[in-house]
Amino acid sequence: MAVSDQGQGPYLTRFGPIERTIHALVIISFLGLVATGIPLRFAYAPWAAPFMRFLGGPGSAGFIHRVCAAITFGYFFIHLAAVTRQLIRADDKMSIFWGPRSMVPQPKDIRDVVGMFKWFLGLGPHPKFDRFSYMEKFDYWAVFWGVAIIGGSGLLLWFPTFFARFLPGWLFNVATIVHGDEALLALGFIFTIHFFNVHLRPEKFPIDLVIFTGRATAAYFEEEHPLEYERNQREDRLGQLQATAPSRATYLWSMTLGFAALAVGVVLVLLVIYALLS
Amino acid sequence: MRRSRAQGGWGSSVVGARHTLTREVIGTTLWLLGVAILGLAMPTPAAAQQRAGVVECQKCHGNRDFLVGKAGTVRGDSALFVPDTLLHDSKHAGLSCTSCHPAFAGGYPHRDAKVIAVPCQSCHQKEGDDWARSIHAPDAVTNGKAPTCTTCHGTHHILGADDPRSPTYPLNVASLCGGCHANPSIIGTYFGAADQAQARTAVSSYYKTVHGTAMTKAGLVVSATCSDCHSAHLILPPDSAQSTINRANITGTCGKCHAGVVETFNQSSHGQALRTGAKTPTGHAAPVCIDCHSSHQIVPASDPVWFRGVVKECGSCHEKEYDTYFETYHGQVTELGFGLTAKCSDCHTPHNMLPSTDPKSSVYPTNLVKTCGQCHPTANANFVQYQPHGDPRNRQAYPRLFWTWLFMTALLVSVFLFFGLHTLMWLGRITVDRLRGRATHDAEPPVTNEEKEKHP
Repeated sequence: MAVSDQGQGPYLTRFGPIERTIHALVIISFLGLVATGIPLRFAYAPWAAPFMRFLGGPGSAGFIHRVCAAITFGYFFIHLAAVTRQLIRADDKMSIFWGPRSMVPQPKDIRDVVGMFKWFLGLGPHPKFDRFSYMEKFDYWAVFWGVAIIGGSGLLLWFPTFFARFLPGWLFNVATIVHGDEALLALGFIFTIHFFNVHLRPEKFPIDLVIFTGRATAAYFEEEHPLEYERNQREDRLGQLQATAPSRATYLWSMTLGFAALAVGVVLVLLVIYALLS
Repeated sequence: MRRSRAQGGWGSSVVGARHTLTREVIGTTLWLLGVAILGLAMPTPAAAQQRAGVVECQKCHGNRDFLVGKAGTVRGDSALFVPDTLLHDSKHAGLSCTSCHPAFAGGYPHRDAKVIAVPCQSCHQKEGDDWARSIHAPDAVTNGKAPTCTTCHGTHHILGADDPRSPTYPLNVASLCGGCHANPSIIGTYFGAADQAQARTAVSSYYKTVHGTAMTKAGLVVSATCSDCHSAHLILPPDSAQSTINRANITGTCGKCHAGVVETFNQSSHGQALRTGAKTPTGHAAPVCIDCHSSHQIVPASDPVWFRGVVKECGSCHEKEYDTYFETYHGQVTELGFGLTAKCSDCHTPHNMLPSTDPKSSVYPTNLVKTCGQCHPTANANFVQYQPHGDPRNRQAYPRLFWTWLFMTALLVSVFLFFGLHTLMWLGRITVDRLRGRATHDAEPPVTNEEKEKHP
């Protein structure tokens, strides 16, 4: 049983179908991109050549990489469309860019960062997070800009002679550096820090399924996002957010995808660490 | 004895004298006729004499069971039994036995002759001189155990190198040389410690080379074999100036067959540096054929073993280019052992490499569209501005790459430092809480002993 399903109370909705689908697409495409990218980036590592042969060679790996890139561009535009749609429909359009429920960093996030470090040192209470903690916001923007930067540079390297019609050639050198380093940042962050923050820290170990099932117990909300929970309680919206417990099928695919991603991610990051140290 | 008895037989025939006379006339006529025919067959009296000598020797040595001394102490059948057919069939068919065995010219019996001296040099002077100066010379490192003429050419049945039955026929040379150079007991006994490893692998790896497989699998006798590179008689170690495998002579040796390639090579930067003795700033001399292709491990250029090896070889002098190459997609795919992308030779040509300042160079700016176009057919002037050896650590030469690299590195370091610290401190706090039996998200700070005393 995952941490999001432990504790009291009714189940409450946290993520909608688009967010859940996008996260699943992010997982699948990102693992594909990393798995086909690291044998190149760390070609000197002893595991790289066997790994590349396992993938079917650079031709086949390149194909998988590009299919996953296409999925990435796909979910990126689905997300942009979803945000646009939300923007059109929302009564308070500014709340998307500003306020407690926004993904945009707020002054409170700075205070939360300081508060967390104080708490780490035993100098203050644990900060209370709203809908998104500063770590979740960082995750979001890292992926957002990551897709833009890695995707953009990747596109340049995918169609070099097309882009060379109107772009200078040195940009391909820059694109190579940016693509590789930003990808290294992404995989290192996701497979260690994101995994720890969201899944592997002792309170959540071994997995947090909220992003997969879209819902969690009230107890989970009170602990992880108390301000959001309290506001919903105040505004009497808890009933609106109430959801059924995840079905057996939802639970099963969530567990399967979640644990597979964790396992693959940990293996890939270990390979990278091995290569960096050797 | 037999002869005299036969004569007596003729002399005592009184009764049949007429018959005898008739037979004598017929016999003489036939004999004269025979001599005439033989005379036509043998153009010179000298040749006839030689033939006669052979016939004389064959009286004894033509006998399969001919032994000298006690049975069992004989040096070997071949030493005594020399079938006439062998000589007839050999390159030496016209020679008499004493041409090669002058010590026996005094007639027989010659069982006391201790040394069967075979002065091949008396006719084959150059070959003999070369051999005497070679690594196979009697006084060479092998202490007289080195091969002599007969070791390679045989004794009585000497055939030309163009005869498939000859041990010196191209198809047979590797196994001829391998008889010693791949024979573990001979290597162990006679080869110096330094030469043993080389000797163990040289012949066996030859068989895996393009030369060896062309010879043994395709039967191409024009392919190179041991003697083509090492020469046949003047076989010298590579540090000898006259050796065909001396660095200074390698292009000439390989050029005997690969004439076109060597001509191109001679015009290249490498070829020019080889002639002038010019060295790179890091002190590397120009490469010769064997540096890139190796000597005994020559494999086809399409083989991953070869192209990974040759890139490494180029990199042994062109260190900067080597390092930066492996930071590109080209280098990474190559390093993984796939031939999909450009290697050194694809951009710089295999043998005609010239500096990018030379208009004839494949990497001269105006030639780049064509060179890159081999793989990127739609390449244009912008595309070829790409720096295949761009070095982000070189701020002067590649400022854009330097700043990009610096920015990315700073980004990575700061993110991982911040979140690394964040994660470790978080983990530390949780561990402390758990050890004290507190709930993790307890809003209160952990109570210190001091505080406990103040607020009991």
